[in-house]
Amino acid sequence: MRAVALLLAVIACNTMDRGPREHAAGHVTPIDGGTLHYATKDSVRTLDPAIEFDEVSSYAVHALFDTLVDYAPAVRGDLASGHDLVPHLAARYEVSPDGLTYHFWLRDGVTFSDGTPVVAADFAFAFDRVLAMPASPFAAFLDDVVGARDVTAGRARRCAGITTPAPNELVIELARPNMAFLSVLTMSFATPLRPGPSDDERQHTALGTGPFVLASWDQGRRLILERNPRYWDAAAIHLDRLELTENVPRDTQFLMFERGELDAAERLSSPDYQWIMDRPDWAPYVQHRTVMNAFGSRMNVTRPPFDDRRVRQALNYAVDKDHELKLLDGAAVAAHGILPPGMFGRDDTLRPYPHDPAKARALLAEAGYPLGLDLDYVIMNDGEAARLAESLKSDLAEVGVRVRITTLSFATYVTAIGERGGPAFSKSSQLADFADPVDFLDVRFASTSIHDENSNNDSFYSNPELDRLLAAARAEPDRAARAAMYRRAERILYDDAPWIWEYHQDLTEVTQPYVAGYAIHPIWLRDFSRAWLDR
Amino acid sequence: MMAPAAQRFFANRGSLVGTVLICVLLAVVGLRPWLAAKDPAALDIDHGLTLRGAPLPPSMDAPLGTDDLGRDVWARIVAGAGSSLEIATLATLVALLLGLVFGLVAGYAGGWVDDALMRFVDLVLAFPFLLLAILLTALLRETKLASSTAPVVLTLGLVGWTTIARVVRGKAMSVSRSEMALAARALGASPTRVITRHVLPNIAGVVLVLAALGFAQNLLAESVLSYLGLGPATATWGRMLFEGRVYYRTAPWLVIAPGAAIIIAVVAFNLVGDGLRDAFDPRLRA
Repeated sequence: MRAVALLLAVIACNTMDRGPREHAAGHVTPIDGGTLHYATKDSVRTLDPAIEFDEVSSYAVHALFDTLVDYAPAVRGDLASGHDLVPHLAARYEVSPDGLTYHFWLRDGVTFSDGTPVVAADFAFAFDRVLAMPASPFAAFLDDVVGARDVTAGRARRCAGITTPAPNELVIELARPNMAFLSVLTMSFATPLRPGPSDDERQHTALGTGPFVLASWDQGRRLILERNPRYWDAAAIHLDRLELTENVPRDTQFLMFERGELDAAERLSSPDYQWIMDRPDWAPYVQHRTVMNAFGSRMNVTRPPFDDRRVRQALNYAVDKDHELKLLDGAAVAAHGILPPGMFGRDDTLRPYPHDPAKARALLAEAGYPLGLDLDYVIMNDGEAARLAESLKSDLAEVGVRVRITTLSFATYVTAIGERGGPAFSKSSQLADFADPVDFLDVRFASTSIHDENSNNDSFYSNPELDRLLAAARAEPDRAARAAMYRRAERILYDDAPWIWEYHQDLTEVTQPYVAGYAIHPIWLRDFSRAWLDR
Repeated sequence: MMAPAAQRFFANRGSLVGTVLICVLLAVVGLRPWLAAKDPAALDIDHGLTLRGAPLPPSMDAPLGTDDLGRDVWARIVAGAGSSLEIATLATLVALLLGLVFGLVAGYAGGWVDDALMRFVDLVLAFPFLLLAILLTALLRETKLASSTAPVVLTLGLVGWTTIARVVRGKAMSVSRSEMALAARALGASPTRVITRHVLPNIAGVVLVLAALGFAQNLLAESVLSYLGLGPATATWGRMLFEGRVYYRTAPWLVIAPGAAIIIAVVAFNLVGDGLRDAFDPRLRA
């Protein structure tokens, strides 16, 4: 009875909405100081840049560590912004005409947050560490570097292709051209590190060159970052502190946001989104951004019934994408493959699989399942994921496929679907680490991305033809020819359907009116490092 | 003995109202196919949601509106009556069985058996009700029973039997030490016979009261567990409340409908429980 009374009281309080509590003061030039509060529904897993690959950990890691090159900051309202590569810790760089040698000259006067100067050897150390570390998922990204495989295999301690001719010069030699290599170097693992701390210590401590330093981290609860006074681009940083509260469900985040306890709320749940978009006093502070991602349902193609292509195609025909788009408040577009709209090399002439239950039934019958089949489907614990799974279940029931939904916590889900013997059918997604097809196609569908555990290729799809095509495309200097190869790759994956291709989703975020200098970044998503408080 | 108790029960306005409400609830469960033709589990994303994907407000077609997946809320409330009442009934039976066995044995045997059993009861009671319930449900959900209503039924039964055991023990102790029980034993009656012929009939009234009140508590507890996401996968009222909570502002019918249903059912069973207590215990009459 008490719970019901409490709920009614909450309803009563919240129907008296007041709109934003505090408006922008109207300063034109950025104001220094202040703390920005934000939250995430998941938790930060690690601060080690050699391990971090999930979105939430990257919020912290990207603020703590800096790389040779990075993407330009996003600008509010400019949808093309945030895609260009700009030198960061490198003052300048040169790529040899054959595309095999990358020569970087470091910026003068860059130091770690404790004051020790950064030298080229600190980069070499970090690369060697990633290559030698079995737990690091990034060695594969350096596979084209001369001598990288020797370090991975334990035959060498130093990567022969990474040299430091002078303390401020770093040279990386590739064995074969890799058109995505500069983009790869924007990933946080390519940050300078000083030898010393153990791998365990690096999980929860940080000595970096980024705009912020770690003040405290109560794991699973709150992570606090403070401005790095020694940052090389200190003039661009205005906030004193960033406070990230972990494990706050989306609807709770929104309530906290309305109470003024948070300065930003991410990925509003459907009812909150619909409510706020109807409010003229709030709507101007809602941001939408098409970011590079893909969502679908991956199938382990080595296990029956998913080893039969007809079954996988049938499931693609059975799912009604319009249902999913409607449940996502229309803030998404239907997918025909994994490459998101706007991505170089995407075949925009390919149409998503149409909703065709008759064809799905025919394909299932042809594959030997005239009476349909029973499938287990795994999702992570999230309201939106649950709604979409119910929609998928109902669509598949229409063609005789009976689905049982299993919900796992985020951490269990991530581990389980990357295991060869794990669940064969589950929700999956890819968020861009960098803006190149390599990050989607090679990472998710090349044979080299298959591992028994933590497999990035979680459909365990292996196709020599696709492997050859992707390898050739990676090394192809001619942009048009390279794009044509990716269009062929997309078509192969479309037909082989290792995933049910579902949608690409926009990111939405609402910020308090006084939060300035912040825009959702197409790659880094929630990067508040350059924000300021106009109050 | 029953006749005056029944008279007293129906003379009480509260218990009368409670009885009528319970009859209505049972009628809803029984007449479900005629009351709600729609499938409570059927999604209707094409027509059951607005163009923007929001739930539809109450209308002629859907008297209580639709939920976030376009399902008919009235059909779910009716289906939820069945599953919520079923869970509460089974859980109350489990609690009654455990409570009676522990209470009767402890009360009849006395001595160290009584001490041991009652300390065990104290141990269970020492845990906060909700904490223990959450722990048990979470554990049971990891077993083979996960997909059915069994985790919730067992949890509520295992958490709710202690009060019954205590009351039954006290009653059983006084009855079994009474002269009539002494006489029966002197005449050679076995303990089973004494318990079934003398103790049980004398505690039937109080057990009935405890069952009715426990039932109301189980109904509410099921809602709380479902609200915490630990309930069964079927459409129970608590689960509807849980799923609708984020819509309290844009689609309030998603919380009002199941909330009202829970309140009505809990009040009904509490009224009946209170009425029964008054009826069986004339000393409490005003």
